[in-house]
Amino acid sequence: MVMMNGNEAVARGAFEAGVKVAAGFPGTPSTEVMDYTHQRYPDIYCEWSTNEKVGLEVAIGASFAGYRSLAIMKTVGLHVAADALGGAAGSQINGGLVIVVGDDVGRIAGDDYNDVRHYGNMFNIPVLEPSDSQDAKDLMVKAFAISEEYTTPVILKITSVICKTTSRVIIDEDYTYEAKCRVKYPVSFSKVIMTTMMMNAKGSEHPKLVKCFNDFPAHMKRLADDCNDFDINNLELRGKKIGVITAGTPYFYTKEVLPDASILKLGLVMPLPEKLIRKLAKHVDKLYVIEDGHDILEKNIKDLGVSVIGKELFPKFPEMTRFTPDVIEEKLVPDAPKRAIMDGIPFRLPVSCAGCSHLFITQILKKHKIKAAADVTCGLIGCFPHTEAYSLQKCMGSSIALSHGYNVATDHKENFVAMIGDGGFWATGINGLMNLIFNDSQSTVIIVDNSCLAMTGGQHIASSEFGFNYKPENKLEIAKVCEAIGVKDIVTVDAYEIETLENAILNAVNAKTNSVVIVKKPCITKFKLPKSDPYHIDQELCTQCRKCIHIGCLAIESKKGKDGKVEIVINEDLCVGCGLCSTACKFDAIKL
Amino acid sequence: MQDTGKNIIIAGVGGQGILLFSNLLSKFYMKLGYELKISDVIGLGQRGGGVESHFRYSNNPVLSPFIKAGDADYVISFEQTETLRYLHCLKEDGIILSSTFELSTSSVNTRLEKDMPESKTELIRKSGKKTFIVDPDENKNPDFDISKMMNIVMLGFYAELRGYSHDEMIQIVKENVPKKFVEGNIKAYEKGMAIAQTEVAEKESELSNC
Repeated sequence: MVMMNGNEAVARGAFEAGVKVAAGFPGTPSTEVMDYTHQRYPDIYCEWSTNEKVGLEVAIGASFAGYRSLAIMKTVGLHVAADALGGAAGSQINGGLVIVVGDDVGRIAGDDYNDVRHYGNMFNIPVLEPSDSQDAKDLMVKAFAISEEYTTPVILKITSVICKTTSRVIIDEDYTYEAKCRVKYPVSFSKVIMTTMMMNAKGSEHPKLVKCFNDFPAHMKRLADDCNDFDINNLELRGKKIGVITAGTPYFYTKEVLPDASILKLGLVMPLPEKLIRKLAKHVDKLYVIEDGHDILEKNIKDLGVSVIGKELFPKFPEMTRFTPDVIEEKLVPDAPKRAIMDGIPFRLPVSCAGCSHLFITQILKKHKIKAAADVTCGLIGCFPHTEAYSLQKCMGSSIALSHGYNVATDHKENFVAMIGDGGFWATGINGLMNLIFNDSQSTVIIVDNSCLAMTGGQHIASSEFGFNYKPENKLEIAKVCEAIGVKDIVTVDAYEIETLENAILNAVNAKTNSVVIVKKPCITKFKLPKSDPYHIDQELCTQCRKCIHIGCLAIESKKGKDGKVEIVINEDLCVGCGLCSTACKFDAIKL
Repeated sequence: MQDTGKNIIIAGVGGQGILLFSNLLSKFYMKLGYELKISDVIGLGQRGGGVESHFRYSNNPVLSPFIKAGDADYVISFEQTETLRYLHCLKEDGIILSSTFELSTSSVNTRLEKDMPESKTELIRKSGKKTFIVDPDENKNPDFDISKMMNIVMLGFYAELRGYSHDEMIQIVKENVPKKFVEGNIKAYEKGMAIAQTEVAEKESELSNC
């Protein structure tokens, strides 16, 4: 018996399933599935791919070669990889193909609007959802078996709660790793090719055609029948008053709050075990669905003609970002005591690390009132009202194309700048840059080169000097790639050389051509850069203009002193001595 | 009476070593043979975001990874704004162990919202729960950096409060922190023990006075 969080358990499950290839792209909360797989199971080939679509395609290719393969990403990443998933869905599978996808439930950041199970409905593929770490490990093994038996890619949905919860797992201590090769089909085509041939060919029973065709609706029908007997779908018949159909961690919330309820715990959430659902519906007076994310189980169950109570009692976002035991108690336990959080406790908006290179950029953009788009990067914190440096921010890798669109629509009258992280640049932003060049745009792009994918904890990317498969000769140089793409004006600047950086950005913005400013500084948190002496604020000189506060640096605080008077102070434990705030202060109050 | 289990909420802000604290505690309870579920919920944001760990140990299998409001036996908090955020989670006879450290929030810094007018330490004291307060400024020590090792100070405090074997707990600390930090961590642990001894004695005399 060992203690594992959900990410560790999924990695262990991949190992025990004999996975040969794991590929994907970092994304909270499921990033560590790959990290653990790589650290602990060196038999498994691991790679962080350039983006999720590439990662899934690598896994699909490896699966066709006959080996069990795994793709890892978060739901937002599966949007990028959705085309690849659509291609694999309904096609012939050799080695089992499982896509582990993290739903970041409970966050107030936007990811909680997503629910990976939609892809199960859209592509008609199975989705599994574990309730704890043991379940995560077991379902991982089961997912590969289902993938091969029913010839389909399988999604394993994990949530932020599963990923970050540690509980006990029984592992097979004596397990010896073996990656089996299973080549059942000589060809595997997308549904488009298979159906086109089937629909247009007269002799569709011809062996040449038959080998291409995959009767995927029949496989799913068979799975839907068989899953009534799967032990991962567990019907616990107890009291007759309340029945609950649930999956994931809400199963445990339900069991704790409603110990007498009859529960159908689904391990396979798509397709549904219809017989078990009807059996439970018959047994109880009232049937509820308790599911994190969207009302997908609820809709699918209602489609079976079974009446259930779901979001009418438990309204989804924005009333609720995820289920908790408290929510269930409030609605289903009469006379439950009400306990509310104390009023007036200040909220914590995200703040950049002290000394982050992004702060230097946002400070310059604001000083010169340069309009800019941010990307998905640590720098997006600059969009929040305490910094207010950006006016546009969408998905990963988007900022270059966003700013190009803005500039062509406004006839290039102002240079709407794009800021992008190195991770976003390699992921999909590079497409935006190529697009910008061959469509003859004049936009300016600021690429923040911090040598890793900082926001998810510092994983390696194409321009990092480390990585699972790193070799110095294979490192991609951002500047060289930009040059090869055809960018006219490229400069590389150290973020801490603030005057040089300021001039570089101004020159680029004012030049009537396309331009890239590469801002270099390794991520201060990942690479634990040495600190300089902390700065402090001379309270005699400070006018409380709060300019320094709006830099958005974690080390600068507005605080009540012992005498109750508010002061602007620098937290010396957090300050790294970068000196940015001292350049921003007009009153020379910030000193070493 | 045998301890059948407890629900503990551990709270603070990023970078305070909350996950290490819950990890060390889990090793201790595992050795005692308890079932455990620990949910580390990392809030929105980078450094300085709120972090909460729901720590449950029990003789019976632990079901929910989250502690329901009103079910927490302890709130152990390394930052006092965060302490306030979890007061409603405590049982009637729940216990608070809180640092007076405070990291101001960006929303207050930038005047998006007003700070609470009252002293947060006083609000915690007035919560009606059994409360232990640790002031890192009053306990600064040349042997270790209390701003970085508050988690271990609190571990020593908690172990003393619960009457646990310090030898076993210190052994777990030794096995799980990098070698170069072991000495400082043990000093921090002992400091926590010492503060707890004084605090508990004071509490007892208060109780005997009323």
